[in-house]
Amino acid sequence: MRLAAGILFLILAVLTARGALADQLVTDLSEHQISIRSNFTGTEILIFGAVEAEDPTDLATERDIVVVVTGPEGPVTVRRKDRVAGIWINYDAVRFERVPSFYSVSSTRPLTRIVSMDTRTIEGLGLRHIGLGAATGLSPTGAETTLQEDELKTFSQALLRNKQNQNLYRAEPSGVAFLGRSLFRATVDIPSNVPNGLYTAKVYLVSDGQITDAASAPLFVVKSGMERAIYAFAHEQPLLYGIFAVVFATFAGWAATLIFRD
Amino acid sequence: MFQIYLPIAEMPVNIFLILGMGGAVGFLSGMFGVGGGFLMTPLLIFTGIPPAVAVATQANQTIASSISGVVAHWRRSAVDFKMGGVLMIGGVIGAVGGVYLFAYVRALGQVDLMISLSYVLFLGVIGSLMLNESVRALIAVRQGRSPKSANRSHHSWIHGLPLKMRFRRSKLYISAIPPIAIGAFVGVLVAIMGVSGGFVMVPAMIYLLRMPTNVVIGTSLFQIIFVTALVTVLHAVENQAVDILLAFLLLLGGVVGAQFGARAGQKLAGEQLRALLGLIVLLVGLRLGFDLVVQPDELFSLTSAVTP
Repeated sequence: MRLAAGILFLILAVLTARGALADQLVTDLSEHQISIRSNFTGTEILIFGAVEAEDPTDLATERDIVVVVTGPEGPVTVRRKDRVAGIWINYDAVRFERVPSFYSVSSTRPLTRIVSMDTRTIEGLGLRHIGLGAATGLSPTGAETTLQEDELKTFSQALLRNKQNQNLYRAEPSGVAFLGRSLFRATVDIPSNVPNGLYTAKVYLVSDGQITDAASAPLFVVKSGMERAIYAFAHEQPLLYGIFAVVFATFAGWAATLIFRD
Repeated sequence: MFQIYLPIAEMPVNIFLILGMGGAVGFLSGMFGVGGGFLMTPLLIFTGIPPAVAVATQANQTIASSISGVVAHWRRSAVDFKMGGVLMIGGVIGAVGGVYLFAYVRALGQVDLMISLSYVLFLGVIGSLMLNESVRALIAVRQGRSPKSANRSHHSWIHGLPLKMRFRRSKLYISAIPPIAIGAFVGVLVAIMGVSGGFVMVPAMIYLLRMPTNVVIGTSLFQIIFVTALVTVLHAVENQAVDILLAFLLLLGGVVGAQFGARAGQKLAGEQLRALLGLIVLLVGLRLGFDLVVQPDELFSLTSAVTP
């Protein structure tokens, strides 16, 4: 219902907009906050909008939409196992400083056919162009080592592969659909294992291979309910939490003796 | 539908799987009078619970099962509180050392390996000993001989140590050093494996300290309450790895399972059961060892730094 109203609003906005100098974007999200509760099994958000074309009668211009949703960034250590004395143990590692916890890119067509390599690198469009931050090599004892170019490539590819297997990184080359000439919509899957924090949904308008406009909107992912309360308690008041856990177990053990007293 | 999200393990699990595991291990522990932590922690790891969370949560759960166990022994005044206190001094030293070792190894990214290796070692040794002993006893019974009791060797060097103390309940006059050393060793095991350590503590009390068998289990349970409580608090502070929701589910299953296990244990023959338990222990140990030796499908793993 909200969606229908939103689309109606956008149609009206497009119809009444006059005198725009260049192609412009109007976008919105179906929801700006996702709450993770105990029964959370993932959800999807809808990103929709309209292109206000400079000249709506111009059919020659190829317009494409790219939607990128990124999660909060943080350091990630990628460890590689190796066989030592017959058993497989974590051996060397690389730490990346600014890894997005979630990354989803959807587009009207495969990215390689929409924008140039340079633009993809600069804007961080596509799984291979995600900025991971500074990389540090780590030896098995945790000491910093110099990182070879091919090693860096192996570890960053391993990071992408693991994130994709966890459904946290994904690319949908046909995830954005135009409804007519100006309206578009994209659905982005949010899996159940997403970390909480502030996400950004960024929409790019590409006309004839050039990014002509971009708009971004915030998206909050919040763990709520009992799970969030327990998690926050354990991390913010660890000593009290530990004492609580002990008292709780003591009471449970004592209750068990009362219940099952012959 | 039956999935529940564990807040500290940060993963959804099937609620009946966890309750069932708690019940099955509780059944075994009620039947054999063992703690069951040495089976529960590997089972949790097989389900995909992070090993650090499995160990810390199991230590928390052990408090409850030890308390419900010690009450019965207390009523029969089968607890040597003074000996328990001395063991506890060692236990505290071992637990603090163990938890800091755990945090250090975790920072190196090797904590899963440390847990797996200690389990392979202990399950392998204990499973083999149990299986060996019960099979021998079975053969002896079949041949019409009475199973010979284990040989109690004399440890005269223990009587030469200083710091002698009198333990009235145990009718002992021995040095405090061996109980402290045993307590410390078990404290480390509690911290890095999440077990109650009864499988080390009880034989050590009988064969090394020569305590009367009627006070051994009560005293062991009594001191382990405090050691597991300390380990729980330290793991909560150092590693944030205690999942009380998981502990609660395991408790629920475990308490019920233990009651049925205790009743079943009274009706069944002892030696076959001990052979069966030995076999289970050995198989779990072999499975953990197998996972270490076989090349994993994915050699790379990711660790996100916990942002405060």
